[in-house]
Amino acid sequence: MPVETLRDWIPVALSADLPPATVIPAHTPSGILALWRSASGKLTALADRCPHRGMRLSYGFVRGEALSCIYHGWSYGLTGQCQRIPVHPELIPPAAIKAASYAVEERNGVIWIAFEQPETPPPALEGFKPLRSITLNTDAERITATGEMRVLLAGIDVLLLIVGIGVGETLAHVMVDAAASDVDCIAVSRAVEGWRRECEQLGLEELAS
Amino acid sequence: MILYDYILSPDAYKIRLMAALVGVKLELRAVDVHPGREHESEALRALNPAGSIPILIDGDLILTESAAMLVCLARLAAPAWLGGNDVADAARIQQWLAFSLRLTDHLGGARATEMLVEPGDLPALQAAGTIDLRELEAALTERRIIGQTFLVADRPTIADIACFPYVALAPDGGLSLDPYPSIRLWMRAIRMLPGFIEMPGIHRLHELKPEPVSQLPETV
Repeated sequence: MPVETLRDWIPVALSADLPPATVIPAHTPSGILALWRSASGKLTALADRCPHRGMRLSYGFVRGEALSCIYHGWSYGLTGQCQRIPVHPELIPPAAIKAASYAVEERNGVIWIAFEQPETPPPALEGFKPLRSITLNTDAERITATGEMRVLLAGIDVLLLIVGIGVGETLAHVMVDAAASDVDCIAVSRAVEGWRRECEQLGLEELAS
Repeated sequence: MILYDYILSPDAYKIRLMAALVGVKLELRAVDVHPGREHESEALRALNPAGSIPILIDGDLILTESAAMLVCLARLAAPAWLGGNDVADAARIQQWLAFSLRLTDHLGGARATEMLVEPGDLPALQAAGTIDLRELEAALTERRIIGQTFLVADRPTIADIACFPYVALAPDGGLSLDPYPSIRLWMRAIRMLPGFIEMPGIHRLHELKPEPVSQLPETV
């Protein structure tokens, strides 16, 4: 799953971290998107910039089936089309006022985006369930070359989806064996903290040598 | 009850927020911390030799530590905010109240250095603040695994209020909250509580209010 082309799926968040009527900044190797879920559960990934004044849309809020900018309340629908400009309530916003939108899909509790529509759906990751997303202060290449790794943490089978999101900044989505109990999940969550410290320490040592 | 208050102080906000959530009316006395440094004046030093804000006065009781003020408000008006009676819960509340002092030192220190241009070692404060945020994120993630939202009980407690403001304002100290999904959901749950009030930098959830309707008179 190394991200090489615009058509590659990028895992950006876990479904559980984006409940209905919320928006989050989704970090990707090419910058941040405003990823939001409407009240009825539909996902949209938009460029994180309000076409009006450039405010980050991920600072905004979701009301019903629209994302509103925190700055002047311009609201955008599921396609990124501006639907409403509160200061001009009678105006139907022109079609040109539109935030760029990107492919987004949810599979097995993981939300994926792509900058151009991929030909195949994102991987199912069968046998695993999502646990948590963490950010590491190290480069993704120092952890894995492939973007995906299998490890045993606290004795549980774990799949890590690794995405470099900046210089010295890496996102890891932690998937655990689908049969793991709550007790197992807590043990893995704690072990992941140690794994992160180890990765960051290795990164520092490499830099020093 | 009199609160010596400063609008930009996260510790003073904890007390205003707690009072609002449990329905206690405070008599606010605004202190000119910046630029007047009134908190260091003799009149206020007589109440609080440390020269810090907030100060809560209830008759003979003079409190200068926000954690103690939270206990006072909860005992007085809403004991459920103190959590359950079992040993682990009582200890966890104390653990988070003490942890909140680390947040004050690290996240608050970074904020004061970055935003209020007070002297401080910003990278060291940010590094310490990151360790705190990761600890909080890990704890909240474990709570979510067992279906819980708040730090200690199946309802909000003073532990949540003690930790919330400095965490919410961490970006003022140059620490993004983007890496912490469980913290984000926890902050949202706190901001959804009935009676929640704002401070500069911590706004309410606009989506909880209905879409505003134009008040323009109809044209004839």
